[in-house]
Amino acid sequence: MGTGAAAMLAGCQTQRVEESGGTETATQGTTTGTAAGGETLVVATYSSFVDAPSTSPGAWLKEQFESEFDATLVYQTPDSEINYYLERAIAGVDFEADAYVGLDTEKLLRVDGRRGEGEYTDRLFRSAAGVSGRETVKSGIEFDPEDRAVPFSTGYISLVWDATADDGAFTAPATFEELAQPETAGRLLAQNPASSTTGKAFMLHTVDQFGADGFLDYWDRLRENGVTVLGEWSDSYSAYSNGEAPMVVSYSTDQVFANRADQNLDRHQIRFLNDQAYANPEGAALFRETDTPALAEGFLSFLLEPEIQAGIARRNVTFPAIPDAPLSETYDEYAKEPPEPVTFSYQELEGRVGGWTDEWTRRFTEG
Amino acid sequence: MSRRRRRFAAAVRGVTERLRRRVAAARRLRDRPERLVLPALAAASASLLLVVFYYPVATVFVDAVTVDGEVSLAPLVDVVSDPFYVGWLAEPGVPGLGELSGLGRFGFTAWQAALSTAASVALGLPGAWALARFEFRGRRTLRSLTILPFILPSMLVVVGFYAAFGADGTLNTLLGAVGLPTVDLLPSLSAVVVAHAFYNAPLVTRVVTAAYERVDAGAVETARALGASRRRAFLDVVVPQLLPAVLVGATLTFVFTFASFPIILALGGTRLATVEVLLFSAIRQLEYGEAAALAVLETGLSLLLTAAYLRYERQSQTERSAVRPLPRRELVPSAWRERATWTVRRLGSRAAVVGYGLIVICVFVGPLVSVVYESLVIDGRLTTTAYEFLLTRQQTGASFQVKPWPAVRNSVAFGVATLAVALPAGVAVSVATTGEGRWSRLVDLLSVAPFAVSGIVVGLGLLRGLVFGAVVFGYRVTVTGPVAITAAHAVGAYPFVVRNVAPALGELDDRLVESARSLGASRARALVDVELPLIWPGVLAGAAFAFAVSVGEFDATVVLAEGGGTYTMPVAVERYVGRRLGPATAMGTVLLLVTAVSFVVLDRVGGGGVGGFGSGGQRGSTGSGGRGSTGSDERSGDPDGNPGRGDQS
Repeated sequence: MGTGAAAMLAGCQTQRVEESGGTETATQGTTTGTAAGGETLVVATYSSFVDAPSTSPGAWLKEQFESEFDATLVYQTPDSEINYYLERAIAGVDFEADAYVGLDTEKLLRVDGRRGEGEYTDRLFRSAAGVSGRETVKSGIEFDPEDRAVPFSTGYISLVWDATADDGAFTAPATFEELAQPETAGRLLAQNPASSTTGKAFMLHTVDQFGADGFLDYWDRLRENGVTVLGEWSDSYSAYSNGEAPMVVSYSTDQVFANRADQNLDRHQIRFLNDQAYANPEGAALFRETDTPALAEGFLSFLLEPEIQAGIARRNVTFPAIPDAPLSETYDEYAKEPPEPVTFSYQELEGRVGGWTDEWTRRFTEG
Repeated sequence: MSRRRRRFAAAVRGVTERLRRRVAAARRLRDRPERLVLPALAAASASLLLVVFYYPVATVFVDAVTVDGEVSLAPLVDVVSDPFYVGWLAEPGVPGLGELSGLGRFGFTAWQAALSTAASVALGLPGAWALARFEFRGRRTLRSLTILPFILPSMLVVVGFYAAFGADGTLNTLLGAVGLPTVDLLPSLSAVVVAHAFYNAPLVTRVVTAAYERVDAGAVETARALGASRRRAFLDVVVPQLLPAVLVGATLTFVFTFASFPIILALGGTRLATVEVLLFSAIRQLEYGEAAALAVLETGLSLLLTAAYLRYERQSQTERSAVRPLPRRELVPSAWRERATWTVRRLGSRAAVVGYGLIVICVFVGPLVSVVYESLVIDGRLTTTAYEFLLTRQQTGASFQVKPWPAVRNSVAFGVATLAVALPAGVAVSVATTGEGRWSRLVDLLSVAPFAVSGIVVGLGLLRGLVFGAVVFGYRVTVTGPVAITAAHAVGAYPFVVRNVAPALGELDDRLVESARSLGASRARALVDVELPLIWPGVLAGAAFAFAVSVGEFDATVVLAEGGGTYTMPVAVERYVGRRLGPATAMGTVLLLVTAVSFVVLDRVGGGGVGGFGSGGQRGSTGSGGRGSTGSDERSGDPDGNPGRGDQS
């Protein structure tokens, strides 16, 4: 660690600014070593994709990729995720990342919504139309009208409920209507749409159900019925685990974890309200300024290979983006898919989702 | 006496005078580097503050006063004219004070901060009393550990609170076991207030204990000798000397809880959204104008309060030259048979300490033990799975994953490095601000500003200002990595040193420094040899906080790490959060152990160091065996005990 520590201690760096206003990219502390020969692909993603306490696909994916390509894969996991690169683009400061893994419709809207600010004039991502295998992706989970983000997995946000509550007498309601009835008063844990992905998805599900004009009235009813809205998924899940309430807004793959950890599945029941669940597909895209476009495109098509799709699904505990990923029967048994997935398209959310979130915040916090 | 002899005497006087001057000049010359120490330190602290705090924060605040690059007050006006934020203030003539909703989010935020401050002071003061006035086994260790809750990552506090006070929590299990009805405490405003007290009461305790240990026993004795009752002596002598410390604790608590956010969301829920919660949402959604306006107003209010406090602090200072601390009484009397042991007053004060101890066990120990419990128990079964996870991660984790041991190592290293920077910087700034006049007051305020700016804003500012850097003469200068992290920690930490050291310095008799300097000592020498030993408990308390701030810091650490392996223990806890509580709470237990040991070591080393200054008798408080060394004092000067009949063994 000797040289590494010395390099890290040199915290102050200077780089010659190019004529164009950008900076030369030099390898910094983030690049944790390059293999002899071959190119380096820098993949930006969220931290739990590479470093979750249960399982995460990161390490395995890197191994598979490096055995298939003569290249080294390096991860970057900035704390503010995609906003980090957006900030860099606005400030006109170059970055090393070649691809981003973990985009969804809302993040894409954020990326596009900031265009034109500061130095951020050109597109942040390039088209992925040329990626081989692109056509194998299920059409239902495509979310980028401009074909930059390639969906590589999807998840569903549903209710997870505890059948052992009330000494086994508790059953989760089957519909949104029943959820607002006095019988389930104080029994639901949800998350703040402004600070959590699951919270946002559940709010959007209510928008889909009751319309942009009616969803706030429904939330008034939920509020009167004692719904507990906490900040993050982890807060509410830990409250759920501590028996605070027998229902929590979470992912429909909950039983996969519970089964792997030998937990009582009765405490991890899945409920699809109105037989629906909000789908939140995840995608990967190539940064426009990647210096290894061919390798980066290769990475995206690699993500869509059936074996890799199954591997990601298993390790990320999500659903694959292609129809024929070879997953085990056990996985199929515990990862539940809703009869009717619900989701908003890019166009439907554009210019609206921010307003819905703000209105929700104002309505829910007042009083 | 002949004229000649007189002339001779005058000549001798002249020669002596000349000689003296020359010696003094030579001394000054020799001391020149020493003379530069304090100004150089103060200048270095100022530049550090500028680079690591003011410049970065300015890159965020600028959005509050610009729209599309043009100067505009629109973002600020939007917020202050929005009833959602400011309540009835936005609608002139409708002063509906009765309802909370009429207060707007700013009003509500202030309200919950005020409640939290009251709770923290109420919970923290008895602690200072017990720690400063009673002697018992483990007192020093306990005093070292009071600061522990202060560094706990919010995620662990949340887990601890749900496990202790939740629907299926320990409290309800106990209530159920004795046949009492269970209680539904979470989530609620009360839970938030108690959690805020969990964080900040220790702060009040620590600051006030340090002040209590500086109360001069001589003054109390004089008051008693002049016929003042115990109560009078306490109210007129002790209370005025504690009040500044109580107020500094209260002010800081208010400022911190005003900007509270993860605790609010997790233990209170979104309905109780504070300004900081909305600020976080705005930043997440990239609504920078609104976010910056909220941040500016939040900071402005906090600074206003801090300024009011600083003004008070200066006015209330009383000068004194030497301090002989009040003697402590034994909590557990060693002479049970003596009649003196059994007076009502005695039993009353001990019962109060025991009662307070029970509350402490419930509010502080309960959640902490729950964190450890969660790391060891799954579905009611004892298991070491969570710790096996830590070991496995350490052995087989990939280079880009967070491993436990580097996290421990980095935390301790950053803590020590922060101390090394923040302690001298804090002392230098304290000296610079103890002077009179407007300027020193302004410097004082500017130097405590890091308290008043939300961590989220500092994080974003560091990203924009230091990680992205600035173009200077055609070169882009960026500042990241361990040095930057240490600098950021030090900037967050040194105001704690200042707020513990500056009031104590101000109280010292000016003549002490003057006489030292007239004997040829430089300002720095006078400080190290004369002043610091006298105010050592304050320095130590500041040091403990500096270490705590560094160990608990999260925002700046993750922003400045830039992917390097410089993650710390709170980062590891955050990473290990998942569906199961085991991994995060196991890492949390490691964090608790490491920081607990660090605080005890810090206090021991610091306390031992006092002896080296060679004036031990005046500060029995931090020396070992304060009881033994000040034995004779115990017979007198006991403001709320029995003068003349201490609890001698």
